[in-house]
Amino acid sequence: MNIQKKIWLLAVVVLLIMATIWMSLTFYNQKMQDQYNNILERYLVMNELTSTSQQMVTALNNYLLIPVAENLETIDNSKMQIQEMKEEVADFKNTENELALTSYINLIDSLIETTDRSLVFHSEAGTENARRALNEATYISNYISEMTLTLIDTELKTYDRFYRGIINQSEELNQLGIWVLLLITFLLLLYTYWFSLRITKPVEQLTRAASELSKGRFDLKIEVDSKDEIAFLGKMFEHMRNNINNLISEIQQKAQLENELQQSKLLLKESQLRSLQSQINPHFLFNTLNTVSKKAYLEGSEETSDLLVSVAGLLRYNLKHLDKSMTLYDEVNVLKQYINIQKARFTDRLTFHTEIDQTCLHIEIPGLTLQPIVENAMIHAIEPNEDGGVIWFRVKDEGDRVTVEVEDDGPGMPKDKIQQIIDEEQQHDTMAGHASGIGLSNVVKRLRLFNGCEDVIKIEGNKGNGTKVILHIFKERGVDRDDKVTTG
Amino acid sequence: MRKIATFVIAIICVVLFYFTFDSAFDVYRANWQLPKESDQESLDNRLVLITQELDTPFWDKVSAGARKQAEKEGATIEIWGSYGNNQENFLEQIELAIYSKMDGIIVQGLDTDEFKELTKVKAASYGIPIITVANDVPSAESLRKTYVGSNQYLAGELIAEQLIADMGASGEVILMLDSKQEFYQKQRLKGIQDYLKDYPNIEMIEATTEDAGEHGIALTKDLLNRYPNVDAFIAVNSNFTEDIIEEIERRSKVIPYHIYSFDDNRASLSLLKQGKLDGMIEQSPQKMGERSVKLMMEWLNNDTVPLNLDGYLTDIRMVKATDLQ
Repeated sequence: MNIQKKIWLLAVVVLLIMATIWMSLTFYNQKMQDQYNNILERYLVMNELTSTSQQMVTALNNYLLIPVAENLETIDNSKMQIQEMKEEVADFKNTENELALTSYINLIDSLIETTDRSLVFHSEAGTENARRALNEATYISNYISEMTLTLIDTELKTYDRFYRGIINQSEELNQLGIWVLLLITFLLLLYTYWFSLRITKPVEQLTRAASELSKGRFDLKIEVDSKDEIAFLGKMFEHMRNNINNLISEIQQKAQLENELQQSKLLLKESQLRSLQSQINPHFLFNTLNTVSKKAYLEGSEETSDLLVSVAGLLRYNLKHLDKSMTLYDEVNVLKQYINIQKARFTDRLTFHTEIDQTCLHIEIPGLTLQPIVENAMIHAIEPNEDGGVIWFRVKDEGDRVTVEVEDDGPGMPKDKIQQIIDEEQQHDTMAGHASGIGLSNVVKRLRLFNGCEDVIKIEGNKGNGTKVILHIFKERGVDRDDKVTTG
Repeated sequence: MRKIATFVIAIICVVLFYFTFDSAFDVYRANWQLPKESDQESLDNRLVLITQELDTPFWDKVSAGARKQAEKEGATIEIWGSYGNNQENFLEQIELAIYSKMDGIIVQGLDTDEFKELTKVKAASYGIPIITVANDVPSAESLRKTYVGSNQYLAGELIAEQLIADMGASGEVILMLDSKQEFYQKQRLKGIQDYLKDYPNIEMIEATTEDAGEHGIALTKDLLNRYPNVDAFIAVNSNFTEDIIEEIERRSKVIPYHIYSFDDNRASLSLLKQGKLDGMIEQSPQKMGERSVKLMMEWLNNDTVPLNLDGYLTDIRMVKATDLQ
């Protein structure tokens, strides 16, 4: 039952009680009023009867003195009235006054008869007799008034108990009124207490639950023992609490996961650091190389000194510029230093031709792209061949792009190998030999990311006819360069 | 604490409910005792007994007898009358009874012209039968249907007989009469006179006055002065009994006097018991009441038509003071 219904019920019950009391009081009052009217009417009718009979006698007297129609009419009127009232009086009969009442009615009859007689005598000119009848009528009229008094007296005596009954009953009614008032007041107070408790108690429970929630305690179950709107509210509240609980636990789970991830990353970093620490510091190596180069130069071994400078330069470039884009010019310089080192190694076996369009050298290119390609050619074309080989390096301007070609006259690259490189598959076997530790596929990936398009490399190779690697570097790049992409 | 509160509330509830329902039932039960509705359409046999001396032991007995009989006969009877011989009121009552068209009037006879006029003319013209009771008025004068009561002549004789027995055949006897000379009084007197005629040595002194009370006392005083040797008093009208005894007691003892009276005065019986009265004629008032109503009903039902005009006599007897002691 909801609160509105409860309030309605209360109102209806109170209304019903009041209506009942009001109706019974009205009914009782009406009954009493009727009785009072009845009693009063008896007295009034009897009284009127008396006065009318006296009037009639007076009128008769007048008529006998002055016999005009007007007086006769008065007599007739009075007579009719008396007859009517006689009927009414006859209804007042009860066991206690029936004798007196019968006498009374008979007296009235006698009066009328006497009056009639008087009139008859008068019309027959028997004036003396008419007078006598008038006298008689006067007596009777007096008797009537006396009898009326007697009757009223009898009535008072007869109705004494009745009047006392009425008085008693109204006193009892008063008492009843007081008791009913007390009872209803008490019951209403009781009901109101219960009713308000039914409303406030759940609200209190809800308030307590809400304050617990606001304090952050989500584990207490919210219980509201009622069946109205508050219960609904409580249920919703409970639902909300559950949802919050679920969300919190979810968030906690996520946080835990993240934490774990973070920790594993940290571990990884640490292990990487450890692996780095296990290597010789490259800068130290670079400085040492420079020192050794100067030493060699001082000792007159200029060739060794140059070689050492080249090695140091290459090393420095490797350390510095792996994650940055460089100009083609820088790249070509590093390539030359690399060739110098390789020439020291292979002497006459290596023939390196360059055709460089100097106007193209300002173009930007990912660092360490050319060296791995040339190195690749060195590994496949020069190293295995006792007679050595030739490597061509060309930089050409082709309108919207700059083409870099590295060609060798080695045994050539098999088709599937070429495909592997194009598809950026890792080549574990070849990686070991590279000075920078960077494979061809890595170069391809970086170039593609740098240019923002796929079409950056072309490898032409026939078995026995050498290999030709062609790189396209667009002057306008399709995609803005991104640091992460180049490093990746 | 909570239990106590609940208990108290329950008790209050029960108490309040109890009193509320109790007073509600009281209100419901308290019915107004209305007089019962009359079951008869119109009353038959409305009789009225009218006497001059209401509330005397004698007439109370007559009334009781009449009521009893009326109840038996299914008639309704009312007892009207005047107090202390108020004739005017008494006559008015009769007139009222006639105008009220009673079915029958039983009346204490009053030997006056007004009474006779009423019974003869008014009652007859309204067709109302009249029966005299206790005291008679001759039928020829009153047109009464019959008389129910004692034979007053016989009563007189009985008193005279007792007087002779007590006093002897000689002496002075004062007969107290009232001036109205009613029929019953005349009868009694006649009875006494006729009986005492045979005793020449007895001197009868008839004393008359208007009324009992002051007049009676004055008369007694006068008589005692005039006739110091009087031997006996007879209160032919019993109302003088008290006056006689009161006056004699003032002068001497009552015992030497022979005093006789009738029972239709309130003081007679007590005086007789005290021994102040030597003898009293006891009538049968109860019987009179019963008989009169019975006869009236017989007349109204046409069982006995006509009634015996001489009257229906009820028993009388002499009660002596010596019998009671």
